[in-house]
Amino acid sequence: YLIPLSSSHYPVNQTTMHRPSLSACQLILRSFGRSGGNIVASRRFASSMNVRDALNSAMKEEIERDPNVFLMGEEVAQYEGAYKVSKGLWKLMGDKRVIDTPITEMGFAGLAVGAAMAGLRPICEFMTFNFSMQAIDHVINSAAKTYYMSAGDVKVPIVFRGPNGAAAGVAAQHSQDFASWYSHCPGLKVVSPWNSEDARGLLKAAIRDNDPVVCLENEMMYGVSFEVSPECESKDFLIPIGKAKIEIPGNHISLISYGKFVGLCVEAAAELAKEGIQCEVLNLRTLRPLDEEAIVKSVMKTHHVVTVESCWPQCGMGAEIAARIMESQAFDYLDAPLTRMTGADVPMPYAQALEAAALPQVADIVRVVRRTLNRAAK
Amino acid sequence: MLSTRPYKLHKLESGPASEAQVTSDEARKYYRDMATVRRMETAAGNLYKEKAIRGFCHLYSGQEACCVGMEAVLDRNDPVITAYRAHGWTYTRGVPVKAVLSELTGRASGCAKGKGGSMHMYNHNFYGGNGIVGAQVPLGAGIAFAQKYREDKRVCVTLYGDGAANQGQVFEAFNMAKLWDLPCIFVCENNKYGMGTAVERAAASTAYYTRGDYIPGLWVDAMDVITVREATRFAKDWCLSGKGPILLEMETYRFSY
Repeated sequence: YLIPLSSSHYPVNQTTMHRPSLSACQLILRSFGRSGGNIVASRRFASSMNVRDALNSAMKEEIERDPNVFLMGEEVAQYEGAYKVSKGLWKLMGDKRVIDTPITEMGFAGLAVGAAMAGLRPICEFMTFNFSMQAIDHVINSAAKTYYMSAGDVKVPIVFRGPNGAAAGVAAQHSQDFASWYSHCPGLKVVSPWNSEDARGLLKAAIRDNDPVVCLENEMMYGVSFEVSPECESKDFLIPIGKAKIEIPGNHISLISYGKFVGLCVEAAAELAKEGIQCEVLNLRTLRPLDEEAIVKSVMKTHHVVTVESCWPQCGMGAEIAARIMESQAFDYLDAPLTRMTGADVPMPYAQALEAAALPQVADIVRVVRRTLNRAAK
Repeated sequence: MLSTRPYKLHKLESGPASEAQVTSDEARKYYRDMATVRRMETAAGNLYKEKAIRGFCHLYSGQEACCVGMEAVLDRNDPVITAYRAHGWTYTRGVPVKAVLSELTGRASGCAKGKGGSMHMYNHNFYGGNGIVGAQVPLGAGIAFAQKYREDKRVCVTLYGDGAANQGQVFEAFNMAKLWDLPCIFVCENNKYGMGTAVERAAASTAYYTRGDYIPGLWVDAMDVITVREATRFAKDWCLSGKGPILLEMETYRFSY
């Protein structure tokens, strides 16, 4: 088992497969401590937080910090959030700051954009991004384009957030990954957190950003806990929008992903490390603007690349990354073509076995990495 | 004293004044503003025919009494948002004629630096100029929401056409505006045609002032500027006294596409 040095990378609890043995984790934490820091007992600086609490605390702090920030969406107030992401916020902040909307996405997204144009800073929650399609005219035509159309006169400091991509058995109309649709559009910023640190830092940065930001979360990650650094717990902890993060450095192949699938890449990397294959796992964190520099640098180092996402293949994120690599100096450093691992080109089926087959799994990533590297063997 | 033209009421016990005081200075100002809008729109129409203006150019000719009559009661702190037939409002909201025509002809000296065009002109407390039919209505409800949030004692005027009146999002906006008592004056500028289609062919009910249902409404003969002015005064008082939103149907006419 290859366990990364920095404790914030590695999930303590996980809903899927590979659980690290707890004693091994504790052992590593005690001997390595934090990267570059003093070696001290883990209890003093590492704490555990799940993604739900990361998002919850981020919103709570930003609402407390700025009187113009408020949260609106279906079930966010009295029900405490369809997935409990806004648990406790309405009780604490009241009706003015945490607002339940009717089930009318087009109406309330438009209302939220209008409020943003008039100087407030709404967090507009879509129960899932599938429902954002009903409101997508407001995300794109009313929010994304207005700063440009008004030649800089009208700002739209809004955050659209909610779960994106597949959950578990929610079938075709509730499982779409909107990463490529939203990251296609100039005027939007698009972020997609993987772990708790990402969730806190990116959401806080999004709320403080004066442009419309789409924050694509994942329902399956809400309950997953991660070690977080003390910096992460600071009220001013921000992750810069537009910068990817190398979760695990490696020399043989770049695994580029976002959101939940970063976790699968981390697991695949651990398995491949046993056979001496060093995967570099690049967590994009931001989809627009894409951190092209990080992608190019990684591919120039490893000469091999696999992208992992749950968007459908055509015009997905992998397609964009492939094009960017071809357009850059990294092209000359490739020893094999890019493989994009994507959702299968079907509406998401319901049956569990079919759903699993329609999405990239750890075993698939491992197989594709081996194939990519053999193709390059002399 | 001048008489206003008769109003029709929906869920209102009484309506605007039937008589109004107009000074000769006011009358001259209204006339001047309406004539300026007409001249500006005529010039724009000619430039469009010469192809100096590209794309869309929706002229306000015929509807001048609506924007001028409403602005007589509004002040620059009351935000306004409208759809794409926006040049008249752009002028009354303080954008000079030259800046409007420059924008229409794609010049950097245009009010949106040539980046917006006919449908995307803005000013302080004027949120355009919106190209997507009906989209401005929830946006306007949102602006009214922001005013209520900040406890500004202002109304937001949200205009839409007879065509947009059938959009689902308009009813979604009505619902939230009424639910949350938003200080929003919804104004349907009924010029009898939605794009090229006459109202009777598009709407099961053309009594637009009643289509806010639980929102009280007023039908206004908007070819008369004083009638419009008094209706606006009534509506502004209504909203500012905390009674929630109100809907005005301004029946008018346009001379062009």
